[in-house]
Amino acid sequence: MVAFAPGRFIEPYVEFARKAFSREATYRFEVLTSIGSLVLRVYLLRSVWTALYAQNAAPADIPLHSMITYATVALLMSLILEVDGTRSIRDKIREGTIATDLMKPIDLPLYFFSEGFGQTMFHALTILPSLLLALLLVHIDVPSLATLAVFGSSFVLGYFVNFFLNFLMNSVAFWTLETFAIQLMVRWASDFLGGQILPLSFFPGALGWIVERLPFAAIYSTPLRIYIGELPQSAWPGALAAQALWLAIFAGLSVVVWRAASRRVVVQGG
Amino acid sequence: MPIIRTHDLRKVFKALDRTPGVAGTLKTLFSRTYVERVAVEGISMSLEAGELVGYIGPNGAGKSTTIKMLTGILVPSSGEIVVAGLVPYRERKRNARNIGVVFGQRSQLYWDLPLIESFELLRAIYHVPYDRYRQNLAAFSKLLDLDSFMKTPVRQLSLGQRMRGDFAAAMLHDPKIVYLDEPTIGLDVVAKDAIRTFIAEVNRERGTTFILTTHDLADVERLCRRIVLIDHGRIVYDGEIETLKEQYGTHRTLIVEFSEDCPDVAVDGAEIESREGPTVRYRFDRRAISADQLIRRVADAYAINDVTLEEPELESIIKRIYLEGYARPNDATQASAAAR
Repeated sequence: MVAFAPGRFIEPYVEFARKAFSREATYRFEVLTSIGSLVLRVYLLRSVWTALYAQNAAPADIPLHSMITYATVALLMSLILEVDGTRSIRDKIREGTIATDLMKPIDLPLYFFSEGFGQTMFHALTILPSLLLALLLVHIDVPSLATLAVFGSSFVLGYFVNFFLNFLMNSVAFWTLETFAIQLMVRWASDFLGGQILPLSFFPGALGWIVERLPFAAIYSTPLRIYIGELPQSAWPGALAAQALWLAIFAGLSVVVWRAASRRVVVQGG
Repeated sequence: MPIIRTHDLRKVFKALDRTPGVAGTLKTLFSRTYVERVAVEGISMSLEAGELVGYIGPNGAGKSTTIKMLTGILVPSSGEIVVAGLVPYRERKRNARNIGVVFGQRSQLYWDLPLIESFELLRAIYHVPYDRYRQNLAAFSKLLDLDSFMKTPVRQLSLGQRMRGDFAAAMLHDPKIVYLDEPTIGLDVVAKDAIRTFIAEVNRERGTTFILTTHDLADVERLCRRIVLIDHGRIVYDGEIETLKEQYGTHRTLIVEFSEDCPDVAVDGAEIESREGPTVRYRFDRRAISADQLIRRVADAYAINDVTLEEPELESIIKRIYLEGYARPNDATQASAAAR
């Protein structure tokens, strides 16, 4: 046996990420449409929020400029967070190609992660042009560098929570082959209850208290509340810790589900 | 020492018993009964390194199930398997380094990327040293004529090109054993021939062991000396193709073209299979009469233009075995086949 060499071990996964990156790049039209649709949505949201604010006083003490910033940054985040890098789990199970992957000397969860990561990296490139185009339509508040740094860390934590949530969802295919219904539900929950569409402080009373404690809040709401300054600095460590906790829980669940799933494939046949 | 050895390998699947119809579907939702389906029942075989064996059987005979167990992605219900010194399902990843697979119906190449990028990925997956990678790539490009489409995205390749790419992909890491599942399905004659030549060459030059699963018996006749025939999950024949032909080819066909239209062409020792104008097909038992004797008898009685002797084809033999079961026509040859 060759001594354990991390560089050697990691090499295939770096390659997987690179290939996924270049594969995404082959669909140029999709990239253009996703940027186009984002700009359109920024425009629509600006109009809707402006109209709503003209009727009422600022709800939940969020001024209009913060609200528009919130909505625009949320859309930019969705460029990355809506990439479901683990969708190939479901597709491979349905088409039976997971069998050929199992015939290779690779670790499958790591393979799916690196593919998803490569895909994400490509879509991250579309953020800059989207941002520039959005700036033609709306004004976005820019917080201090310190806030931006904490927002960045919070976003990374949220990215991983989202990744494992998708991983769990797609792994359901090992049992049901089909995941459309559950994916629709979870997508809706993570967008709506996670604060992508509305800030969670808009939810009334007890409902607000609950949604802020659901795992979905860790994906959009926490980083966004840090960004627009709704969350005071003193609350940052607690918020990041909550995200880290959800991350740990989802990662742990993923390990358990993956073990059961791979045993199932191996015993029942791909 | 054999490179592949299985002993009394067995695989039973549990399948949901579905009652047909709407009422049945509703019933299945609430009460689930499982039925056991035996896919592989007591397969024992052993292969020496460098063998090229045809693994043949009708659809649903258990071929794919066996291959999946050999590759380590399926755990046997009982029995033993050792592939190159490893138990595949216990050491899936280590076993994966020793094997290569080619599926005619499913590509392992990256659909959206140029062919060469799939090769580079495989180099990384198997940690193939750069020198070796370049050597192999050059050799396979030459044998399979890959150069002209190396930079073409796989989705734009023709089936023949894609299969050639898949073969190179399966061999880049110098696997000891390669499993081929219907590797020539849907290919035209030229492409089939290219693939067969490649397999034969790699087997001869590199001593790679091949297990070839196919419904195209021309592949088997061209490439394999030995076949393992399975049906209903059991081995019905394991031995040389020639032996099988001798056992089953007791009857041959002599085709005679007469120079004049004879009303009666009956000959002792052979029956007339069919007749079309001046051409008559005689079926005869080679144990009762030799071809030479028969030809002489016909030629003595009638004026003839031309004779052709038809050898029994593997395909018709296998078809008979599928339909009638293996009949063990000759105990002595059967014993020698079993002793392998």
